[in-house]
Amino acid sequence: MDVFSSLAHGFAVALTFQNIFLALIGCFLGTIIGALPGLGPSNGVAILIPLAFSLGLDATAALILLTSVYYGAMYGGRISSILLNIPGDEPALMTTLDGYPMARKGQAGEALSISGIASFVGAFFATWGLVFLAPQLVKVALLFGPAEYFALFALAFATLGGVSSTNQAKAAFAAALGLGIAMIGVDGQTGVPRFAFGEVHLYDGIDFLVAIVGLFALSEVLIFLEHRGDGSGEGKHAQVGMGRIVPSWSMIRFCTPAMLRSTVLGFVAGVLPGAGASLGSFLAYSTEKAVSDREGTFGKGDVRGVAAPEAGNNAAAGGALVPMLALGVPGSGTTAVLLAVLLSLNITPGPLLFQQNPDVVWGLIAALFIGNLMLLAMNIPMVGMFARVLMIPPRFLMPIVAMVSFVGIYGISGSTFDLLVMVVFGVLGWGLRKLDVPLVPVILGILLGNLMEANLRRAMTISDGDWSVLVSSPLAVGLWIVAIVGFVLPIVVGKALKNRMHMAKEEPGSTVD
Amino acid sequence: MGDRLFGGIGLALAAFYVWQATTIQVSFISDPVGPKTFPIIIGALMALASLAIIVRPDPRPDWPAAGRLAELGAAVLVMVAYAYSLPVIGFVPATVLAAAYLSWRLGTAPITALISGVGTAVGIYVIFHLILGLTLAEGPLGI
Amino acid sequence: MTLSSKLCGLAAGLAAATLIGSAAMAFEPEQTECIAPANPGGGWDFTCRQVGKTMQDLGLVPGTMQVTNLAGGGGGVAYAEVVNKRNDDSDLIVAASTATATRLAQGAYPGNTMEDVRWIGSVGADYGIIAVAKDSPVNTLPELMDKVKNDPTSVAFAGGSAVGGWDHLKVLIVAEKSGIEDARKVKYVAFDGGGEAVTQLLAGSVQAFTGDASEAKGFVDSGDIKVLAVLSPDRLEGDFSQFPTAKEQGIDAVGANWRGFYGPGGMTDDAYDYWVGAIGAVYNSEEWKKIMETNGLAPLDLQGAAFQDFVAQSISQIQDISREIGLIK
Repeated sequence: MDVFSSLAHGFAVALTFQNIFLALIGCFLGTIIGALPGLGPSNGVAILIPLAFSLGLDATAALILLTSVYYGAMYGGRISSILLNIPGDEPALMTTLDGYPMARKGQAGEALSISGIASFVGAFFATWGLVFLAPQLVKVALLFGPAEYFALFALAFATLGGVSSTNQAKAAFAAALGLGIAMIGVDGQTGVPRFAFGEVHLYDGIDFLVAIVGLFALSEVLIFLEHRGDGSGEGKHAQVGMGRIVPSWSMIRFCTPAMLRSTVLGFVAGVLPGAGASLGSFLAYSTEKAVSDREGTFGKGDVRGVAAPEAGNNAAAGGALVPMLALGVPGSGTTAVLLAVLLSLNITPGPLLFQQNPDVVWGLIAALFIGNLMLLAMNIPMVGMFARVLMIPPRFLMPIVAMVSFVGIYGISGSTFDLLVMVVFGVLGWGLRKLDVPLVPVILGILLGNLMEANLRRAMTISDGDWSVLVSSPLAVGLWIVAIVGFVLPIVVGKALKNRMHMAKEEPGSTVD
Repeated sequence: MGDRLFGGIGLALAAFYVWQATTIQVSFISDPVGPKTFPIIIGALMALASLAIIVRPDPRPDWPAAGRLAELGAAVLVMVAYAYSLPVIGFVPATVLAAAYLSWRLGTAPITALISGVGTAVGIYVIFHLILGLTLAEGPLGI
Repeated sequence: MTLSSKLCGLAAGLAAATLIGSAAMAFEPEQTECIAPANPGGGWDFTCRQVGKTMQDLGLVPGTMQVTNLAGGGGGVAYAEVVNKRNDDSDLIVAASTATATRLAQGAYPGNTMEDVRWIGSVGADYGIIAVAKDSPVNTLPELMDKVKNDPTSVAFAGGSAVGGWDHLKVLIVAEKSGIEDARKVKYVAFDGGGEAVTQLLAGSVQAFTGDASEAKGFVDSGDIKVLAVLSPDRLEGDFSQFPTAKEQGIDAVGANWRGFYGPGGMTDDAYDYWVGAIGAVYNSEEWKKIMETNGLAPLDLQGAAFQDFVAQSISQIQDISREIGLIK
């Protein structure tokens, strides 16, 4: 059976009234779950599992519902990133960098719609990648041993300097802070507690959603409270404008190269188990900035800075399905939940899934195409409605944001302790923002810290303590070279250049403190 | 607090972190790297970054006046109280109170704030509990 | 599993079913609740949801069974909550597994022991396997262990749990039973879950895999990995029946990752009997048989006192081996 007849068969499976209805519900709920801070795609899928079971859905229908939620959440996360500067979930983190500045420039509508289109492009091509490249891509995943993963994460951190342009030392501090927070909890390798101070609640570590919601959402509430009645300052909402709902054709064309590059990068990052959508959007953004930010507009509301991470994270979401379906290995938190669902539906993902359960696989792929189209159709007209959130005066909106943040966290973990940690992060986030310390590296550190350390230690265990294992394969060496030549050197060289210019300009009577 | 002080705090934090890392109990069985090495590297990175911040500080940010700081402190206290009261008095009552307080402090008239608090609590209850089926805290009133 | 033990199980089930009839009169549950000590989507969550659903379908509980997720501390937060705050709650059960026993054995729930709660019953077990890649020259478990004996650095085992966790302990049990004196020399690499560990086996980063039968099923079916031994007392049923047990190969090692429940320590005896009967009835139902099959669970039919003894025994075995390798003092 060739690919197209399989796919046609898949559409035949997926295009029933019930399945389309489920996809519609899934896309809608997913978008909302993604947009709500504190609820991400993995939680979203997990909390809808009981629904899938209680409706008594068969395997294909249940998967269609849950993957629609998954894709919907990937779309939805951008909404609060752009409108409120609060990432709705971790893959939407990078979208805040240019999305919120765009909204403040009065381009909220364009930011929302271009990111919707970028999401579609990323997800659409990633689904084709899933169709044609799944078997080959599995081999790519097998090229990555612990040493290669370590180099990949090092590359991600090397690109940080380029992302936060203001003060490299503060970005480095933020990354160290995030990495340090990631170390809290029971060490995954040896099982000893670290930095937990005997507190059993800390043994599982700090959930990155708790950190994101605290750092972004609660600190935003505090900033508003600080500037109440000022009529100025960061918290001023009135300047945020809606702008056009449909982006101009030239803007789409302007973003197309960014979308396509980011789709490829995001997809490959998604295929690697453990890396996931966050890494996809992160690498997409930092690469795009390195490649095309000639005028220094990234971070100030460049539309490509919205298109790149959204194409990247949606492509990564599709990519993450490759190892889940073909290897039974979850590439991200969400696919881990989907995997558990598959197992409970008597489907064993793995090398034989495509032969043993063609209905499920091709039905799912067809559903991804359908869901993706639905999401595009749903998201573009709804831009106006979403943007209307900005019309709500902050004195009503901010309490809602705070309460939704609390509930999102509490509803999942049922833990008062998590809420307290979140408040601590809120205060921390407020302080860091005042001091102009970027928050993105903190989150990146929390997200990747454990993976980075674990892979370093796995590599070293395998090599019996020989550090040369880190550069023992051509792939690892290649990643290190990209990290150093592509990202670290330009910063060092560029900084030296800038400093010289800076000194020449500000020599007479400059003050630093 | 300017950047110099911030860098100093960063240095202290890094020192504390490294010290804590050295006290991690290593069990009898361990991998070649062990659980201490990576945290110590992180601590060193943090110390370096803090030093760089001290050497090249940014301009001092505008810190709020004492009154505003007290306002922020009160909001934080309300959030903490909210976290503790959730399992005791239940989701809806706790949320009404906390949301109304925040709305009031952000400049809404008290009655309107109370109404918006009720609206927020009920809205969230409907979306999260009734539609998404999450278990929210139950108080004596069952909500 | 032999026919006679199957019959035994059936008889025990019938006994449990009658028990529930009489116990129901003594204890009427009201709003029942199952705590899953982890976030939604994990093994404990599924245990709660599936058992809860089966109980509803069988009419064993009134209305629906509420599932509450109480994550933290590898189950320690839920354990402490049950012991300290919900000790008298007769409507509550909590999902548990070998991971719970391992943490109890290693003192990872500070201040709590297994006596603080009442162990109700098991709903199945997932037996351990030791496997290598399909192109590996090694064909039997003794061969592999001889390699380890000669040069411990030549074989790295990959598993889905931390050092000292269940996947690691299984290797150590095998090593101990095959006469390797210093178990600490056995090289173990911890990955995030069995799937990732298998992938690294296929990628050639490691030489052997330790995990549960259900985790590896897809790769066994496709022929990508070679199962050297199943750590069950007898051969498993179904697809895994072709693989020899470790015992058959002269290494008397058994490792079962069981799934089951505990209840609060202050639960009344009537309530305890009721839950023991209910879990037994779930275990013996057709619905549950299907769920066990789909989840790759092997039979493990223990309720009430028998389960309590089993958990105690499992904890003391884990304690011994953990002490031996120096994980605990």
